[in-house]
Amino acid sequence: MLDAAVGDWLSVVALTAGPSGPDWLVPFLNLGLFVASAVTLLCAYRVVRGPTTPDRVVALDTIGTNVVAIAVLWAMIRGRGLFVDVALVLAIIGFVSTIAVARYVTEGDIVE
Amino acid sequence: MSYGDDTTVIARTVARITLPLVLVVAISLLFQGHNLPGGGFIAGVLTAAAFALVYIVFGMEYVQETIFGDEYEPDGSVAGPAVVDRYRTLFGVGLAVAAGTGLGAMAFGKPFLTHTDEVVKPSTEYVAWIPGADFIFGTLFKFHWATAFLFDIGVYFVVVGGLLAILAVVGGE
Repeated sequence: MLDAAVGDWLSVVALTAGPSGPDWLVPFLNLGLFVASAVTLLCAYRVVRGPTTPDRVVALDTIGTNVVAIAVLWAMIRGRGLFVDVALVLAIIGFVSTIAVARYVTEGDIVE
Repeated sequence: MSYGDDTTVIARTVARITLPLVLVVAISLLFQGHNLPGGGFIAGVLTAAAFALVYIVFGMEYVQETIFGDEYEPDGSVAGPAVVDRYRTLFGVGLAVAAGTGLGAMAFGKPFLTHTDEVVKPSTEYVAWIPGADFIFGTLFKFHWATAFLFDIGVYFVVVGGLLAILAVVGGE
């Protein structure tokens, strides 16, 4: 009984399923993960160093987009749809925050 | 007057397209929350994000006059607290629902916050002549009812009420 429950839980949460596509796709997905991570590091440099506020805002937005890409690539590599939900929620919140910050930069206040 | 005069056409159009998508994602996360990632909290956060988008793009007056039907006084300072009061009421209702699901377990002699679930599948006895009845009524309309879902609804109202009250108060300053 307990074993069955733990097995159910693992089947939902486990990260060790196969890829959701053909096997030859996996190296390309790994390459995509590598590129997205590298670009995220470059954006972190721009966030720390960026001379103006819009530079930092755009860099933070790009970091958010990269995290979405990493989540989707991870979902494809591991064959788990959970990470697509994570990517959706991250994308929505990143979109709203970007609009809020853009309005703060241009108008000075967010909600009129 | 028309709302959102000081925002661009791009922002207004994108907000109009995005808003229903965000709400649908929020509802789907709410419904799958009892046995998959998701649940009342993240659904409430997404709903509050959708309302925040409306606040930002169309302004707070749009929400107060169009959704809640509050009339503005000419000096423009009366209707603010009314919306916050609505959000506070929503917060309280959600807290009552969430606590009520826990107390409901005690009514059946179980410990506080005990939850149960059941998979409900409609009977196909009288509709078997419909082509694909097994799929339609046995798979498509099969739903996993859990009392944890009611708890999730309570959490949803708490999060929506709390976050929107904070947004209305902070944005109104």
